Amino acid sequence: MKDNPDTENILKVENINFAYDGAPVLDDLNFTVRKGSFTSILGPNGSGKSTLINLLSKVLKGYTGRIEIFGNDIKNLNPRSISKLVSVVPQYSNPGFDFTVEEMVLMGRFPYISRFGREKHSDFLIVGSVMEKTGITGLAGKKFNELSGGEKQRVVIAQTLVQDTPIILLDEPTSHLDINFQIEMMELFYGLNRNEGKTVIGVFHDINLASNYSSTAIFLRQGKIYASGDIASVITRENIRNVFKSDVYVGKNPFTGKLYVSPTFASDTPDNNDSRKEKNINIKVHVIGGGGAASPILNLLYNKGYMLTCGVVNNFDTDLDTAEMLGISYVSEAPFSPISLYSANKNLEFIKASNIVILPAIAFGHGNFSNLVSVEEAIDMGKKVIVVTGEAIAKRDYTDGKSQKLYKKILEKGVICVDNIQKITEML
Amino acid sequence: MQIRRASKTKYIILLVIILLIFIVVAASVGSAKLSVKETGLIIASFIPGINYFIDSGSLNPQSVKIISEIRLPRIFLAIFVGIALACAGVIYQGIFRNPMADPYIIGVSAGASLGATIGLMLVSGIRLLNLSMASLLAFAGAIGVTFLVYNISRIRSRISVVTLLLAGVAISALINSINSFILIFRSQDLAKVIFWLMGGLTAASWQQFFIVAPIIVVLLIVSSFFMNDLNLISLSDERASQLGVDTEKVKKILLVLASLIAAAAVSVSGIIGFVGLITPHIMRLISGPDHKSLFPASAVMGGIILLFSDTIARTLLEPREIPVGIITSIIGVPFFIYLLLRSKKEVF
Repeated sequence: MKDNPDTENILKVENINFAYDGAPVLDDLNFTVRKGSFTSILGPNGSGKSTLINLLSKVLKGYTGRIEIFGNDIKNLNPRSISKLVSVVPQYSNPGFDFTVEEMVLMGRFPYISRFGREKHSDFLIVGSVMEKTGITGLAGKKFNELSGGEKQRVVIAQTLVQDTPIILLDEPTSHLDINFQIEMMELFYGLNRNEGKTVIGVFHDINLASNYSSTAIFLRQGKIYASGDIASVITRENIRNVFKSDVYVGKNPFTGKLYVSPTFASDTPDNNDSRKEKNINIKVHVIGGGGAASPILNLLYNKGYMLTCGVVNNFDTDLDTAEMLGISYVSEAPFSPISLYSANKNLEFIKASNIVILPAIAFGHGNFSNLVSVEEAIDMGKKVIVVTGEAIAKRDYTDGKSQKLYKKILEKGVICVDNIQKITEML
Repeated sequence: MQIRRASKTKYIILLVIILLIFIVVAASVGSAKLSVKETGLIIASFIPGINYFIDSGSLNPQSVKIISEIRLPRIFLAIFVGIALACAGVIYQGIFRNPMADPYIIGVSAGASLGATIGLMLVSGIRLLNLSMASLLAFAGAIGVTFLVYNISRIRSRISVVTLLLAGVAISALINSINSFILIFRSQDLAKVIFWLMGGLTAASWQQFFIVAPIIVVLLIVSSFFMNDLNLISLSDERASQLGVDTEKVKKILLVLASLIAAAAVSVSGIIGFVGLITPHIMRLISGPDHKSLFPASAVMGGIILLFSDTIARTLLEPREIPVGIITSIIGVPFFIYLLLRSKKEVF
């Protein structure tokens, strides 16, 4: 089974093009979805996410290309057969008539009820168990139109789940609901994905919610796939900047270890000029870390859009946490251990790749002396080096004068000195 | 849930019993006064199996004749027209997702009026299949205009409900103007035409009944197989498609069926308003919006309402007849306004 790509890829999309009144909405999409995966479709408004969901469920026709489900072209499947394979959870809407909750849920069994027959006992059993699972058993006899938003969404989810399909599509079903309900519903779909092997493909607005639950993601921009694949490879600072035109931190949630996206709130920083940021992305800056002295510099330059690296920092150092939160590449060393030759070399590689090296006002001991050595080598390589002077070097030297000596030598070799980190940006 | 559905079947059985009682009562009233008991016996004597127990010799032959040849054809025609209008109303309201839709909303009445006008004025002497030219042309007009409206509102093989409604209103207005225009030149026919437009069953006969009733029955049976689909379409076209309905196809089928049903009724009764609008409403309040039970329940209720109205129409100002359309409007409008006021508090 595993060797057969047709059973592994439950859904295959080939060269899909779709236009509304001549205006292209989806432009040559190609992707596959693996059986049992949880895939997020992300992208700004108007990028074609919902259109894609409508094509996959054959609600919209008139596309060119090929959509395969379990190896069958959906053009050859009638609506009834498709609705036994693919179900869609939309945002709830109010029907014109006063259906009860159980009537609404039972409607999801439509594909299984023959035109000339009626519901079987098994249909009622499934309806009962799904209502239990979605917590709406107590609402059975109530009018749908009289429920709260969260309850209505639950009913629509139940209506979809009784379809009992291997593929479940989510069309932003939670984005208009309270946070507790969003999480509850995502947990429900995650459970179906994990425990019942359902393949879940969802359109989400909330990247954090999506990245917390999905294994893979597809980034859409203007009807094209901008990036796709493993969630961590898709949700990066660069991708979000290019797709959403918005600058964010991409870090890891310290509680769950999952990706975490947070806006940089550009209004906090004096430089809110996008074109300038675009320019800065080509400038690579390496910041020597240690004891938290690098953190404010990393933050500042991150907001300006520079490409950053950091090293060598010990594990549990504040600078390492900062680098991690900002999604910056870094060289680390075991806690309270001297910098190994391996790490020092790795650090040099970063320096080699960078345009500018910054030395914050950090303290030097025997353990991190090699960081200072690497700065000297940076000068020898011809890199522009900026030194933040701060506290006198004598007070920061725990190497019996060894560091002071090298520090002075470095200053003499020709570096830019700044006494305030805000001035760094002027020197870059 | 199964228990709840069984109780809905009970509603329908109850309504059928009420209808049967109404038939007997309606057959007993009229210019020749007959007792309910005598009427009951006469009607029973027509039913195979039961007539074995009735001494037909004891029945007044004149009364038998009045009931069998004058009152019963009219009663049954009224019932079937009522059934047809109510069922067409259920279908239109479901497709339009709007409880204010009625069988005439996309041009059936305008088309039928024009057809009837032409039939009454130009070719009034000719009959075909025992139906007057007015009936036949009314049927043709109703179908023709519906077809026109339908094609106007079709955008790339999809039917937009809003466009359909607007096109229906616009084309109806146009057709009604043409109708009025024709009437300017034939003012001598004005009374005839207006009387027809107000709706009535004065011309009822068994011949009419046996042509129209089977058509209506067949169309209703076919329609009844699409009630699950209609439930889903009443949510939204998109949701119906997601849940497995071939939405565009089913909408087309149901629109054609409902228009044929309404046209068949209109061709023998003229324009009888409000039955198709209020009957589905009443039944939705009583037995809920599930079309599987709403459809048969509305059918029986439609029969009851029109039979009741027609009985009043022919007896209230005896020997003078009131067009039944006036009676249904007098009953229907206050109810309609009540629903409007009620609907202010609800989300439609």
